[in-house]
Amino acid sequence: MMRPPDSTRTGAGSRWTLSTASEIADAVREGKASAEEVTRAFLAHADRTSDRLGTWLHRMPEEALRAARAVDLKRTGGARLGALAGVPIAIKDNIAIRGIPTTCGSKILEGYRPPYDAHVIERLREADAIVVGKTNCDEFAMGSSTENSAYHPTRNPWDPSRVPGGSSGGSAAAVAAREAPLALGSDTGGSVRQPAAFCGVYGLKPTYGAVSRYGLVAFASSLDQIGPFARTARDTALAYNAIAGPDARDMTSRAEAKPVDLAALDRGLQGLTFGVPRELLEGDGLAPEIRSCFDATAEAFRAHGARLVDVSLPNAKYSIATYYLIAPAEASSNLARYDGVRFGLRAPAKDLREMYEKTRRQGFGREVRRRILLGTYALSAGYYDAYYLRAQKVRTLIRADFMKALGAADALLLPVTPTTAFGIGEKVEDPLAMYLNDIFSIPASLAGVPALSFPAGFGPTGLPIGLQLVGRPFAEETLLRAARAHEGWNDASKKAPPIATEAAA
Amino acid sequence: MPIDAGTVEKIAALARLELDPAERERLVRELQAILSYVEQLQAVDVTGIEPTSQVTEGDPPPLRADVAGPCDVRDEVLAQAPDRDGDYFRVPKVV
Amino acid sequence: MSAAKPGAAAAPALDEAVQARYEAVIGLEVHAQLKTQSKIFCPCSTRFGAPPNTQVCPVCLGLPGVLPVLNKRAVEFAVMTGLAVGASIRERSVFARKNYFYPDLPKGYQISQYDRPLCEGGEVEILVEGKPRRIGLVRIHLEEDAGKSLHPEGKEGVTTTRVDLNRACVPLIEIVSQPDLRSGAEAVHYLTKLRQILVYLDVCDGNMEEGSLRCDANVSVRKRGDRELGTKTEIKNVNSFRFVEKAIQFEIHRQIGLVESGGRVSQETLLWDSARNVAEPMRSKEEAHDYRYFPEPDLLPLDLGRPWIESLRAALPELPDALRGRLVREHSIPEYDAEVLTETRALASYYEEVAARSDQPKLASNWIMTEVNAVRNKTGQPIEEFPIRADRLGAMIRMIAGGAISGKIAKQLFELMLADPAAPDELVRRHGLAPIEDGEALRALAREVVAANPGPAAEFRAGKEKTFAFLVGQAMKQSRGRAHPEKLQDALRSVLVEDR
Repeated sequence: MMRPPDSTRTGAGSRWTLSTASEIADAVREGKASAEEVTRAFLAHADRTSDRLGTWLHRMPEEALRAARAVDLKRTGGARLGALAGVPIAIKDNIAIRGIPTTCGSKILEGYRPPYDAHVIERLREADAIVVGKTNCDEFAMGSSTENSAYHPTRNPWDPSRVPGGSSGGSAAAVAAREAPLALGSDTGGSVRQPAAFCGVYGLKPTYGAVSRYGLVAFASSLDQIGPFARTARDTALAYNAIAGPDARDMTSRAEAKPVDLAALDRGLQGLTFGVPRELLEGDGLAPEIRSCFDATAEAFRAHGARLVDVSLPNAKYSIATYYLIAPAEASSNLARYDGVRFGLRAPAKDLREMYEKTRRQGFGREVRRRILLGTYALSAGYYDAYYLRAQKVRTLIRADFMKALGAADALLLPVTPTTAFGIGEKVEDPLAMYLNDIFSIPASLAGVPALSFPAGFGPTGLPIGLQLVGRPFAEETLLRAARAHEGWNDASKKAPPIATEAAA
Repeated sequence: MPIDAGTVEKIAALARLELDPAERERLVRELQAILSYVEQLQAVDVTGIEPTSQVTEGDPPPLRADVAGPCDVRDEVLAQAPDRDGDYFRVPKVV
Repeated sequence: MSAAKPGAAAAPALDEAVQARYEAVIGLEVHAQLKTQSKIFCPCSTRFGAPPNTQVCPVCLGLPGVLPVLNKRAVEFAVMTGLAVGASIRERSVFARKNYFYPDLPKGYQISQYDRPLCEGGEVEILVEGKPRRIGLVRIHLEEDAGKSLHPEGKEGVTTTRVDLNRACVPLIEIVSQPDLRSGAEAVHYLTKLRQILVYLDVCDGNMEEGSLRCDANVSVRKRGDRELGTKTEIKNVNSFRFVEKAIQFEIHRQIGLVESGGRVSQETLLWDSARNVAEPMRSKEEAHDYRYFPEPDLLPLDLGRPWIESLRAALPELPDALRGRLVREHSIPEYDAEVLTETRALASYYEEVAARSDQPKLASNWIMTEVNAVRNKTGQPIEEFPIRADRLGAMIRMIAGGAISGKIAKQLFELMLADPAAPDELVRRHGLAPIEDGEALRALAREVVAANPGPAAEFRAGKEKTFAFLVGQAMKQSRGRAHPEKLQDALRSVLVEDR
């Protein structure tokens, strides 16, 4: 059997780990690198860094190398390789891969191995990407810090005493630390965008319906979307293109989700109008360094040819209240299947009732139990109209605000988070305070529109700051084009945390 | 709307979650804080507003044609069932 | 297969005069399994009787991450049913989750429809003692079935329940009637008619034994003349035509007995025990049900659109009532005959072919209602498997009408045809069943009979006209029924006279 040229197994690894996905895919397609050597480089780097960061719940070195060799064979056999040829990718642990543990960061799914692949996994394989492991996350994607993982916390690559954000904290940290050039996460109220901002990488929440949810373990079905993490706007587009599009197994997926035209990303800001939602910025709690980064970025957008207009999202202030009724309500139902009957954890019990109650008490963590109760309450007889139904009506108003604002602007520019990454343990005892941090990310989730978190700068202590672009339904291209333009004058996305560039021992 | 220990008990039973007294007391406090926060929605005028339960735009994929396909996951699934009796899942008796 | 005839119910003894003071108010909730190839939300087969857990996939097992995809045919079947009973079809209906825990409910919720069902209204006409009664419908909605829990009932020391999920996610429609029924017998009529409609539409096989048709009954009683409804109970598990009437009568009597003795009916769910003929409250420590229905976010509202509905309406087959009317009109047969002949669409087609081939619509009806059905009742054969196909029965009836055989011979021929697939005229030849019409042969027969019965012959000749009938009978018997009746009489008379 032909083996791909094995230039190095360790030494030159950093050359690949510092490369972008686009560079890797080009090199592998052109035969300048083998998928195997690239994969080995990332695996070796992660061997050195991941224990300190707690990025992964399950690594897949053998499967990854097998997949990489298959890609190399495919190329030497003369076949045309896909857009992500040989590009390692990290997968959030709430996305199903056949035969690979999928725990969602929960004890209740300990040892569970799905008998099927998620749609996005099939698509990534078609694109010749290399899945290298499952990343840590808040249990069932409920959280903003990855501290709610039942297994271990993940640390922020820029400052290990701080959280990477969440719930897709493992995926964001993996990309920031160069343990993988790409990752997938899931975003329900900000779970891709917020950790992307905290870790200084790109994170895209696609339009609701742009990416099939088949195989994504449901948290809140009307809000969940799978989205990519990457280190450049172009890589983000590449990953998005690999996973977006309709799927017959998800009736909420849509053919309107078209691939982003990579050539169009270089068109600059000329002719684009950005809306600034003033009243959201005036709320208290926005850290001064984020505010000044926002103002500087807005000014730079204008300086580079964009038009800026003020827009109003009068109902956005109700987003958190709305979200924390709708999402737990859906979650309370989605999490009913964890009953100890067919898979996962079962607590010993004398009868069925006790089995349910003990299994779910022992299998779910505090935050999950809290949200299940909140959601059960919001849906229960006598409270449905006052809570769930009312929240759905306010959601209509919030969505209408966005549609109106996006009629006057091609995209909105706003922060992702009110602060930079907070310390591990800092907010675990106050769930409401944790929820209030989601004020900038939740509105776009409720509206179902695409939103991109992009690296825009750093705070005084060197922690990354991300800003957010929110677009019209299925206008991911506009957001990535603007971010690509921003990359042209701003080098925030090019900086790496020290752990990412540590030389091989 | 205030939430009390009895209500927490009731919804925990509906959700099949065992609660010990200490946790119940803590949850009353936490849920009360969240519910007080979401109370702000009562101030929004939603007269005549349709609820949104999904936000998808555009055309859905076609409905599935009625064709039976392969079902071959039994062994893979039963092998990891917490308890089984031959080819059945097994649970404690329903009381 | 036919429904059990309304019979006596096993219920607590109750004075008839007491009973007469009360009126029962009954509504049925019927679950009908739709006759699709695959499940409602996944491509697993719906075949009955497969080994446990062999017709399951990640979707119907409710594994983490899966999503339902709606089966188009299931939707069409539900719409067709609605159209057939004159319901209004919602152009936009909404699926909802009904949340509750049970080991055979994999997702912890059932996908059903709640406040915006597919069909609303409509009615089913039944005949009660020959008079038509219209039973109103509240709604028809689509939902998925649960799996099967096998409880260790009666098994000493067994403390576990086994779960088979083959049936989980099989498509059902739930048909909810208005509380328009007044007795167990009416409920049976209604259920029979509903089943007939579903089978005519070919959307359900109507097989109660295999659970394709299941019935829950809501029962209350009130004093005659009262307008207010009494407290109702729900009887579950009434899964056979035989039990429907028994169970309902039992519950009516129980409730009347309770009220008469000064008690009050409490709202509860009862389970029918067909072995002991009693309905008992379900053993359950459950809190009051709170299903927390909410719109299913994984399935967007179902938009049918007028053209689709109209194309389904245009494709509806002829339904029992229309077919019955047409048979009466086109074949001039009595309403009663038409009712019997339309039991199934296949029986009606059989009749129509026999009628056409024989050109004797009423005779054809008589033969099917009596001889054919008598055999089928004994053997349990559906008409599709009846050994005498319509062409042969038609030919036979044509022979009767043309005088080629007598009605009496026809019965012998019919018996032969059951066992022998040959054409009727061939069988007549082979078995020598052709009538004796020849004058000389008949006179020879007459002579034999007269010779063998000298006494009666003498009596006749002495003027006792009555004995003539006896002699005719003897001659007919001698000919094994083949003698032409009038010609035989002529022959006998002439022999008696000439030999005097």
